[in-house]
Amino acid sequence: MQFSLTVNGDPTSIDAAPEEDLATVLRREGYTGVKCGCDGGVCGASKVLIDGEARMACGTTVGDVDGATIVTIEGLGTQDDLHPIQQAFVDHFAVQCGFCIPGMIVQTKALLEETPDPSEAEARAAIDDNLCRCTGYQKPVEAILDAAERVNGDGAVATDGGTSPASTARGTTEDGGESHE
Amino acid sequence: MSDPDEPKPDGGTASQPEGESPELEDHPLEWDEPENNDLAPDERASVSRPAQKDDDPKLVTGQAKYTADYETQFPDLARAAVVRSEILHGYVTDIDASAAEEMDGVHAVLTPWSEGTPDAKYTSAGQSYPEPSPWDMTVLNEHVRYVGDPIAAVAAEDAETARAAAESIEVEYEEAEYVLDPEAAHSEDAPRLFEEDEVENEIVGHDYSRNRMAHIEGEIGDVEDAVAREDVHVHETEWETIRQSHAQIEPHTTLAYTDEDDRHVLVTSTQVPNHTRRQLAHLFDVPIRDVRVSKPRVGGGFGGKQAMVVEPIPLALSIAADRPVLYEATREEEFHAMRSRHPMTVRARTAVTEDGSIEAIDLYALSNTGAYGSHGMTVAGNVGSKPMPLYSKVPNARFEADIVHTNTPQTGAMRGYGAPQGTLALEGHLDEVARDLDLDPVEFRQRHYMEVGDLDEIAGMMGGEGAERRIRSCGLDECIERGKDAIGWDDVEQPDEDHLHRGIGMALSAQGTGVAGDELGAAQLMMNEDGSFHLHVGGVDIGTGADTAFIQIAAEVLGCDEEDIVIKSSDTDVTPFDYGAYASSTTYISGMAVKKAAEDAKERILYWGSKLLEEPESNLDTGDGTVYSEETGASVSLEEIGYEAAYGHDEREHILGKGTHCTEESPPPFAAQFADVTVDEETGEFEVTELVVAVDCGVAINPGMAEGQVEGANHMSYEMAVSEGITFDDEGRSEVRGFDDYDWPTAAETPTIESILVETHEPTGPFGAKSVAEVPTNTVPPALSNAIREAVGVRITEMPITAEKINAALEDDG
Repeated sequence: MQFSLTVNGDPTSIDAAPEEDLATVLRREGYTGVKCGCDGGVCGASKVLIDGEARMACGTTVGDVDGATIVTIEGLGTQDDLHPIQQAFVDHFAVQCGFCIPGMIVQTKALLEETPDPSEAEARAAIDDNLCRCTGYQKPVEAILDAAERVNGDGAVATDGGTSPASTARGTTEDGGESHE
Repeated sequence: MSDPDEPKPDGGTASQPEGESPELEDHPLEWDEPENNDLAPDERASVSRPAQKDDDPKLVTGQAKYTADYETQFPDLARAAVVRSEILHGYVTDIDASAAEEMDGVHAVLTPWSEGTPDAKYTSAGQSYPEPSPWDMTVLNEHVRYVGDPIAAVAAEDAETARAAAESIEVEYEEAEYVLDPEAAHSEDAPRLFEEDEVENEIVGHDYSRNRMAHIEGEIGDVEDAVAREDVHVHETEWETIRQSHAQIEPHTTLAYTDEDDRHVLVTSTQVPNHTRRQLAHLFDVPIRDVRVSKPRVGGGFGGKQAMVVEPIPLALSIAADRPVLYEATREEEFHAMRSRHPMTVRARTAVTEDGSIEAIDLYALSNTGAYGSHGMTVAGNVGSKPMPLYSKVPNARFEADIVHTNTPQTGAMRGYGAPQGTLALEGHLDEVARDLDLDPVEFRQRHYMEVGDLDEIAGMMGGEGAERRIRSCGLDECIERGKDAIGWDDVEQPDEDHLHRGIGMALSAQGTGVAGDELGAAQLMMNEDGSFHLHVGGVDIGTGADTAFIQIAAEVLGCDEEDIVIKSSDTDVTPFDYGAYASSTTYISGMAVKKAAEDAKERILYWGSKLLEEPESNLDTGDGTVYSEETGASVSLEEIGYEAAYGHDEREHILGKGTHCTEESPPPFAAQFADVTVDEETGEFEVTELVVAVDCGVAINPGMAEGQVEGANHMSYEMAVSEGITFDDEGRSEVRGFDDYDWPTAAETPTIESILVETHEPTGPFGAKSVAEVPTNTVPPALSNAIREAVGVRITEMPITAEKINAALEDDG
């Protein structure tokens, strides 16, 4: 069956069985930044934004998200132009093996859309189902709080995920759909 | 083959001659270290700086490639699934795989009797050679010893088909009696897991008639004599630890194929590429040169991947199916069929005089190695040889361990490697002794613990070449002082509510850095004509940031920008030999090899600088991307040197550096742990409000990465204190089938962890570094047990610490 998805800003038609999980489908399409760390829906490594909401792609069937707008980690910054959330994780040494990090960053993006200035408790609660074995949670939480400042601070996030010089708008486009093709 | 008469408690080669005391001149305090090693912090250009992790940009953008991400590069890639034993113990009598074989999309089916199934004995432990673990496994098994033992395997066009085919395979068993409890297993009338002829490479002290794979012991002084003295109090306590899962987020994953030159290629998530290559060559009976093991990004290891856990199956399938095969363990398999920490019972006994002088320490460990013996003896050895040397001034010390089989899942190496079990027993025990004798627990420890200059004989008491050591760096005092300040040790306010009680507990820890006398790392450096470098290193970055540390070390020597070094690590076809990422050795051993390779290259760079500047090499040094003269201030860029060396008129040279490092040393890093807990005496409920851990890791090559290591290790240690680990139902089947069953502390359930790096200078390490990754894994269980004892007066000795246990102890007390 064909499913219509907008992935990282690009409308695409994807051939899949309706009961296939979205993580498998996205990975097959080359979005291998979507990680699978469990047998489904538990570890948080496969989180993507589905119509702006952070959900585990492995616990979601493609049939359930036909027509949705999806943002994967590949839809945030690029290696040369990191999204402020990505930069905050790098600057705080919140990344070790990195396997859980795409999901963690995607979850942070959803958190900051909803709660631009989270408390430490809110940051911890947001990543409560993003399991990290290398770093634990001290540095990721620090990174999230710093990311909030960066996103809210003197530069809004540009559509390229970099920090724009304009300070008018906070945050990102409505669908979070910055594209980096 | 190893000598069965010699234990190798450190995983090392044991050949300490009996009856000889270590010669002091073999362990000098003053170490002949290179001039550039002992730079003051402000003289270091690259080392000691929180340089950005080299692979971070690709990790945070999802561009990094882990093993499974290579799937898109192999259009004909098949997927593997494994049929595993559903019984605890018995024999496979028949396998009906006909349905699987006839299924569309199935490319290969292997059983224990298939021609393509390797039948040699081996151990999955990825250790040095001769291997200090018994060869007690086969790739696919007729004799199955735990629920999860692999029996058959399938390769099919996709994962779903492979799973369906595996499920269609019918296995008939003849069940045998099983045993789950290690104490019961260690008796002569217990069901036997192994017949003598089922094991090769047997280990010292083995006695399969009572399920014992090894027995080890060592002593200095005379413990029994000390215990019998009239002027001592003899204390004895017993401690129990959990079966902890590595729970690395990336499952064990291997992609295997045979290339156009008939060489077997494995892209695999491993900590030990070179050991894996050697083990595969043995299993598949091919020359080592015909196996290539390449490690891409690895999604965590923690010892779980210091083993050849899954690699033979996809390789055998790929040969049988004549196409590449990818095998990813499911999370359920991770919990019941991969590896875990050895659960242990550890008994601690001391003889202490009334005024608090420790005359003897005696530890005994009963280790449950599960169905197979991988890392069994070496992990148990570290129960004694890592924590006990902390008290190097104690004159009499003994350690003994029995390592026994049960019909439970396989154990293996795990971060801390036995030290967490021993540290709980020793640090909990000493705290209890101090309380009994009304001594300050910190001063009590300080009277006996290591300091610079001590000759540590306890570390060598079980043999192990070079294990006796001179302590040349020790920051214990500063760890304690700074830890106390951070947690507020001297100013503990009690909560207003009468039923709540607050207490702070502390514990110390020592580890090692690499395996004394049994390590090798190597590196090579190639200079490009534009002044940049390619660094090839066998050392294995499994997510710790080792690649970045290597780059920083090389940049420090070469005087170049870190960005001018391109690193390639851990591909046995390309990179030099290395024992792998374990035993806290990577920065110390492989990092020293990198330093030597860079120094080797620097010699040639200075030669060319001398030619271009027309000054003697002795005037010259490197820095800021140049060779410069300290005499005249003249300089020439590395780029100019690169072009001149490659394209010069009268002389040309490809500037190369090589470095190989092995050592008899294993300097301990130290940690002081503090835990702040508030306990409700009415319910036993407790809240850990803060963990503080101060670590002396020598010079931190990258303080940001080192802190991440410390905090991650401490989180793992906290889990060991408060979580159940892998548990079993009454029939011995794992109750943990996924992350949601594995009750580990999540972000919201984890207290604040404050890490403090205490800098000392370890002269035997690169730029003064020793290890950091393991020592903070050892300390939370005893510190928390001690804190609860301080808060409400009850002692929890069996992990995990739970409200129910505290409540029961309070009721017993009351």
